[in-house]
Amino acid sequence: MAEWSGLHSSTSRHTMDKSITLPPDEIFRNLENAKRFAIDIGGSLTKLAYYSTVQHKVAKVRSFDHATKEATSDELYEISVQEEVTARLHFIKFENAYIETCLDFVRDHLVNTDTKVIKATGGGAHKFKELIERKLGLRVDKEDEMTCLIKGCNFVLRNIPHEAFVYAKHADSEFRFQTTQPDIFPYLLVNIGSGVSIVKVESEDKFERIGGSSIGGGTFWGLGALLTKTKRFDELLQLASKGQHTSVDMLVKDIYGGSYGSLGLTGDLIASSFGKSATADKEFRCYMAKSLLHMISNDIGQLACLYAKLHNLSRVYFGGFFIRGHPVTMHTITYSINFFTKGEVQALFLRHEGYLGAIGAFLKGAEEDNPNQYSWGENYAGSSGLMSVSPDMNPMQRARSGTFDMLEMDRLERKLVNLPLLQDASSYIPDTVDLAEDALAREYWLYCFEEALDGVVKRALASQPDMPEAAERAEKFRQKYRHKLQTLRHQPL
Amino acid sequence: MAEWSGLHSSTSRHTMDKSITLPPDEIFRNLENAKRFAIDIGGSLTKLAYYSTVQHKVAKVRSFDHATKVIIDELYEISVQEEVTARLHFIKFENAYIETCLDFVRDHLVNTDTKVIKATGGGAHKFKELIERKLGLRVDKEDEMTCLIKGCNFVLRNIPHEAFVYAKHADSEFRFQTTQPDIFPYLLVNIGSGVSIVKVESEDKFERIGGSSIGGGTFWGLGALLTKTKRFDELLQLASKGQHTSVDMLVKDIYGGSYGSLGLTGDLIASSFGKSATADKGFPKEDMAKSLLHMISNDIGQLACLYAKLHNLSRVYFGGFFIRGHPVTMHTITYSINFFTKGEVQALFLRHEGYLGAIGAFLKGAEEDNPNQYSWGENYAGSSGLMSVSPDMNPMQRARSGTFDMLEMDRLERKLVNLPLLQDASSYIPDTVDLAEDALAREYWLYCFEEALDGVVKRALASQPDMPEAAERAEKFRQKYRHKLQTLRHQPFAYGSLTVRSLLDTREHCLNEFNFPDPYSKIKQRENDMALKYYQKVVKSLEELSWEERQFALIRGVLAGNVFDWGAKAVSDVLESEPEFGFEQAKRKLEERPWLVDSYDQWFERLKGPPHKCALFFVDNSGLDIILGVMPFVRELLSRGTEVVLASNSAPALNDVTNGELQILTESIAAMDPVIQAGLREDRLTLVQSGSSSPCLDLSRLDKVLAMVVRERKTDLVIIEGMGRAIHTNYYAMLSCESLKMAVIKNSWLADRLGGKLFSVVFKYEVPARPSLLTLFT
Repeated sequence: MAEWSGLHSSTSRHTMDKSITLPPDEIFRNLENAKRFAIDIGGSLTKLAYYSTVQHKVAKVRSFDHATKEATSDELYEISVQEEVTARLHFIKFENAYIETCLDFVRDHLVNTDTKVIKATGGGAHKFKELIERKLGLRVDKEDEMTCLIKGCNFVLRNIPHEAFVYAKHADSEFRFQTTQPDIFPYLLVNIGSGVSIVKVESEDKFERIGGSSIGGGTFWGLGALLTKTKRFDELLQLASKGQHTSVDMLVKDIYGGSYGSLGLTGDLIASSFGKSATADKEFRCYMAKSLLHMISNDIGQLACLYAKLHNLSRVYFGGFFIRGHPVTMHTITYSINFFTKGEVQALFLRHEGYLGAIGAFLKGAEEDNPNQYSWGENYAGSSGLMSVSPDMNPMQRARSGTFDMLEMDRLERKLVNLPLLQDASSYIPDTVDLAEDALAREYWLYCFEEALDGVVKRALASQPDMPEAAERAEKFRQKYRHKLQTLRHQPL
Repeated sequence: MAEWSGLHSSTSRHTMDKSITLPPDEIFRNLENAKRFAIDIGGSLTKLAYYSTVQHKVAKVRSFDHATKVIIDELYEISVQEEVTARLHFIKFENAYIETCLDFVRDHLVNTDTKVIKATGGGAHKFKELIERKLGLRVDKEDEMTCLIKGCNFVLRNIPHEAFVYAKHADSEFRFQTTQPDIFPYLLVNIGSGVSIVKVESEDKFERIGGSSIGGGTFWGLGALLTKTKRFDELLQLASKGQHTSVDMLVKDIYGGSYGSLGLTGDLIASSFGKSATADKGFPKEDMAKSLLHMISNDIGQLACLYAKLHNLSRVYFGGFFIRGHPVTMHTITYSINFFTKGEVQALFLRHEGYLGAIGAFLKGAEEDNPNQYSWGENYAGSSGLMSVSPDMNPMQRARSGTFDMLEMDRLERKLVNLPLLQDASSYIPDTVDLAEDALAREYWLYCFEEALDGVVKRALASQPDMPEAAERAEKFRQKYRHKLQTLRHQPFAYGSLTVRSLLDTREHCLNEFNFPDPYSKIKQRENDMALKYYQKVVKSLEELSWEERQFALIRGVLAGNVFDWGAKAVSDVLESEPEFGFEQAKRKLEERPWLVDSYDQWFERLKGPPHKCALFFVDNSGLDIILGVMPFVRELLSRGTEVVLASNSAPALNDVTNGELQILTESIAAMDPVIQAGLREDRLTLVQSGSSSPCLDLSRLDKVLAMVVRERKTDLVIIEGMGRAIHTNYYAMLSCESLKMAVIKNSWLADRLGGKLFSVVFKYEVPARPSLLTLFT
């Protein structure tokens, strides 16, 4: 089951002001040239995708040899700055509460488009169909949710280096990124929305839902709400991160006084989720939330392992709103997978997992452009990074920075492939040092790049002596890059 | 995880009076001779097992030849002897009664010299001190899982119809599986507080390949938190009344209908409790309990399927306190298994699942007695049946009748095995009609057996004229059997499949129970004596016929003899009112050809061919049947050069000839008939016992010696005679050699049903299909 039922949508719609003013410079960039739209409306979040062209300056060099005019200088070649138009994919994620404002904004800024259709997917596509058609004047064309999800997943796995990562709570670096594999198939996608869908993906167009479970995010949320009277999903997760499950769960040692050696069961293993609560006198909300989280994560983990084994798949990606960047759930899922497969299968998560549906829907609409024949690169300047704040560290930060989130991808001129001479393409890592794992080196290099920033700004300015507004642009560059460096200092990943 | 945490033990201990008075006649039977104990203490229920010897009367026949005095006409004398046999007793009671029961056991232990009690289950630890103090026995703890598996293997091997499929909406709720010769490998899913998934590969090899923390304890714990209902059974009742759709998010709640491209129907649960986060108001307790039950059952079902597939296992048994006889959970598990495997895997449940641990612990302690080298049979007289009352139908009945529950198993004298000539032993079902599935037939036969009860009581009494207390025992027998019939009327599947055979067997068990080992002994004796007088005359008249005429006359003789059957009411009426009813008259009663089922012509053609190597003949009644019907036929077979193996019952049932009686009868016939004598002398005529003491015949439980003889002699013809053996059972049995099934229908209802009339003849000669040379070469 894909993400659906309004993950705090009902509450947020009432408590938030819908008529926020959007900062147009920052989000919905290049909207005036937007050509093709897709929208993925989940239970709580809307993801809008559009394809646009960007005019930007490129420096060109030209040899004087072929020039007709006489050689007037000593220089070997001339430098010119030209305008070039390149394709860029924009993905914007915002809470469903802002959908009207955003649609209004999009309509007001659409200038050069001649598109008549917007591809839509997600459980909410049905619900907001009428609104979108009215606001944008585009015909809503619904696309199959699972197909979009898989298409999007294939796309990011192929085009974004370091898209997939392993989560390790207690390791030096919380996230360990995987290098892009030349061959991404086959893999297992475990999508944990309200329920769970387990999908085997064998090729670009061939996938099968091989299993699923009704015990998913909706169960955590629903049962959690009934047990703790806490209606917000994020609050439930926070509760869970603080609880002790051992007072609610019956452990092996509660039954046998210790481990059950002959069956290979350690004493701390959970024998029965909520096994103590029928006879317990006290109830603690956070204990119950923790126990529930364990129960659901372990169950999904075990199912994922069994399906992976049954179908001989070693790569298992997890996605859906239950996972979406929540460290607690990533941790419990990872733990469960390690437990059940004894390390044979790794739980992999995706940085842009929330965009998969929108990307897929967009790709469905853009199939005539054949985007798969190009390579795409993430534009670091236009993309928000992955959020990694544990809810127990700073519960508010997530909610705030999550309001608008962006991903931009540039179409590269040509398809990029491996150097055929690489000994083992799948294990090749271009970078010598991973700064995320090497704190000392990270410190040094971040400091180094910050130190060098002034020099870079100076040099940039000097390169365009005859442009009066260059100073202003140089300053904007300084601010943006410094902000990125600061972000990376706090969130190296 | 095995059953542990006190399934309503905490509550029941407070609300129930511990000092109940136990009815000693009924439970803890034969305790005075108890030799070996084992106990399995679960969260709520204690299961006590003991091995005991039972003294009971058996009827013996002894030829007068060897006696010194020769004063009477009778061929043999009948004596009733005391025999000691081994019996396993299993008693299940609520933990609340444990003290009372231990006291009772201590007070009644007389002849025991045992020092140890084997104990298993989570509660073994908790009650260790109490048991040691009360019984003065040392508690010896055994591994829970090992006991469980050992017990499971034992019941699967020894109790026919142990495993069943549950089908809520089918005509019969329970569909029993026939015992498989090879029970391994299988998957056992034990749902206690948590779930253990165990792969069992052989008697001693098993592995816990998986498990889940979402089990019975989760249902109970989460259920208690959600509904404030602390009792497990109440939670189940709530669940059986609830509607999960208000709590669960269905596929159609998300997509407005089915999600066709993924093959998901609209009614599928997309997210358990998915609606409860956004609901404004609370939910009825029933709905939450139902949703929880679905969630857990589906999850366990899916896990079980995945493990079954991963390990290539097709037999999956479910047990543990979450299952234990609860129709609601059996139904949801079955549904889930069907859903996930699309019918490839069947969810199987066990009738004695609650006893597995106790049986296993007992077997651990009894390894020197080697119980696995014997065959054991469920004693229907001493065992409570399976409870099957849906909680929504009658919530209290379960609790009440569940207070004490018993299983008794008799050690059979010999190991029972399949007839080697069965075409497919694994698909062989002895019984022709499953009365549990056929309501009309069930009604009729229950009525019929109840009607016949007075006559049986009368005959039982008459068989012991010089015992004054016989009247009392006969009355007890009447009450017990009537009660069994009543139980079966309401719970047709209490002892597995309900069949004419199980009704007959239950009656035999009850008669034995009250020391009426052979109510027909005198009648059989009288008939045998009378029939022997006609033997030579019958043989002589047959000799005078042409070969063709004789073949037909022989068959008619067997059929006419089979009219004499005290087991059939129509005949016993005639016999009692017309004692002179003779053999010739019986022939006149027979239906004229063409018979109801008539393959005589094929049989006759076959007789023109080469003689059979060896015929195995399952005989039926004493008297005219065996002596004037069967023996002349046997004589003819011997004359043709066919060896004959006569298989008769090991112990009495109705007026069926027993092996003991047949030995004596054959001897005296041999004295008159050189053909029979030569047969015996040259070992071409052999008498074996079938291993059965039933008027019916289960070809999958036969004496090991019989199977050996059949194999050694290269038997190529099986003859089965009589209504019980050839119609109620084995009518459809497929054999790998030629077979002849002969019976006269002596029951008007059955005759009606088969489209015949009273005394219609079934003569079924079958040759197994073989690929002909023609089809092989074209």
